Amino acid sequence: MFEATARNRRNRKVEGLLRLLFLWMTCMLILPVALILGVLVVRGGPAISWEFLFTQPLDNMTAGGILPALVGTVWLVVVALIASVPVGVAAALYLSEYAPDNRLTRAINLAIINLAGVPSIVHALFGLGAFVIFFRFGTSILAASLTLAVMTLPVVIVATRESLQTVPLAFREACWNMGATRWQTIRKIVLPNAISGILTGVILEVSRTSGETAPIMFTGAAFFLPFLPQGVLDQTMAMSLHLFVISTQVPDVPEHMPFGVALVLISMVLAMNGLSIAFRVYLRGRKKW
Amino acid sequence: MKTTKTAFASCLLALAAAVTAACGGGGSRSVIQNKGSDTLVNVAQAWAEEYAAVAPGIAVAVTGGGSGTGIAAMINGTVDIANSSRKMKDSELDLARGNGAEPIEFVVGYDALAVYVHPDNPLDEVSLEQLASLYGEGGEIESWSQFGVEVPGCGSDEIVRVSRQNNSGTYVYFREAVLGDRRDFRLGSRDMHGSKDVVDLVENTPCAIGYSGLAYATDHVKMPCVRTGEGGDCVSPSVETAIDGSYPIARPLFMYTAGEPQGAIREYIGWVLSDEGQCIIYDKGYAPRGDVDCS
Repeated sequence: MFEATARNRRNRKVEGLLRLLFLWMTCMLILPVALILGVLVVRGGPAISWEFLFTQPLDNMTAGGILPALVGTVWLVVVALIASVPVGVAAALYLSEYAPDNRLTRAINLAIINLAGVPSIVHALFGLGAFVIFFRFGTSILAASLTLAVMTLPVVIVATRESLQTVPLAFREACWNMGATRWQTIRKIVLPNAISGILTGVILEVSRTSGETAPIMFTGAAFFLPFLPQGVLDQTMAMSLHLFVISTQVPDVPEHMPFGVALVLISMVLAMNGLSIAFRVYLRGRKKW
Repeated sequence: MKTTKTAFASCLLALAAAVTAACGGGGSRSVIQNKGSDTLVNVAQAWAEEYAAVAPGIAVAVTGGGSGTGIAAMINGTVDIANSSRKMKDSELDLARGNGAEPIEFVVGYDALAVYVHPDNPLDEVSLEQLASLYGEGGEIESWSQFGVEVPGCGSDEIVRVSRQNNSGTYVYFREAVLGDRRDFRLGSRDMHGSKDVVDLVENTPCAIGYSGLAYATDHVKMPCVRTGEGGDCVSPSVETAIDGSYPIARPLFMYTAGEPQGAIREYIGWVLSDEGQCIIYDKGYAPRGDVDCS
């Protein structure tokens, strides 16, 4: 009764082919990641040691370690977070919880999306003009971190706003009906339920911040510094720029060193991502809905 | 929610503590900002690294970016010392004076490249045109007979071109001075990874010709004089001809400060110009300002 017609058979064939094609595309996606990690581990692995992580560079950065760059990257990321997370979360709270849906709000949303698309070298020049020269911070961690903060602000805002909006409206309405103000509702109901999404945004920002090279090149990162930064007005070395420098500027760097630096950098990012996933899983387990 | 918050707060605290601990060592330091020429950046880095041992209270922060970037930053007052592989332009001098500071120029060494051939090679002089035709893309010269010489020990007559890897400052400057900015190197050269390697190879290869820093000359290689144009003089490479500007493949390297340097900056530049500092620039393949004994 239900015999396959020629058309059914053709459909099934197309279906199979498409499935295979999509599967293949997915594999293509994994391939570069696997290759990058594989190459880094094989070629950079031998460089990694206690000395590599915790000593100063020596002999024109062809020997010794990467401590100033490692510490510098931590400084840059932490200061950028301190600058951008409060602003980003507050902006997202306004846009999600307070702002009426009018033309202005829509324009702001559009601006945020566009800000995310501005090339990092443009942010670099903005940072140079605004923070280094106009505000007279000089080339410093402060100027570099603020540039990074401006650049990653859209990431924080978008992630936060989206996670705020996953909290069902009914929760808020129930709260308002009990006589709570908007801020009380946000503090007791919305934020606690949205925290895992906000953290994801923060972690994404950390990943991006630690890898960026262009924005810090003009605003705060040094080619070489024989000391660790002592405060936010010092210049600093950074992992990403160090990687660029030893792979293109310095002659006679042993091959395993750039790979080692890249491996440390990517491990930092992956560790942060891992941490965020673990935290999300933990928080989701506590969710009551 | 309480525990989560505490956990998060303690995480932040731990991070802050780690950062402070990692950075707590040492008292207050005074920092000299040094920025500019990519040609000089590796020498500047070597100076900074060495100076950390000479004067532990002073830290020299080195940044590249190019001569123009360094000079602009010096004019804006964001760096103390600009490194430059060219003289300041009049427009830059005017800008600096407009900001109330007369730039002070220090020659810290010379970038002088010699052409090297095997000691048995009868070649006594080359012209810039011949070098361009030998090394440049689309060039004609392939064999020693085109130079009008017969090289003992080089039966094939074919020239072995010795060059540098493309991220070396020597490679970039040779291209600038000999080939011109728009012309590329011809493929097929032996690209060495160090100034000394070029000289070593030429020393042991009768068919070879190479270029490298003047500082790497030994008694076992020959340096033909270099002629500019048809009627020009043929000038032998030496520190003197580099200084007086007659040798065509040489340029002075500069440091600039805004106004007469004071205090730590003055001491640092003094050290750079001392025998110790000059031997570091010599080690990097450049010619020092004058005679220094670095053996």
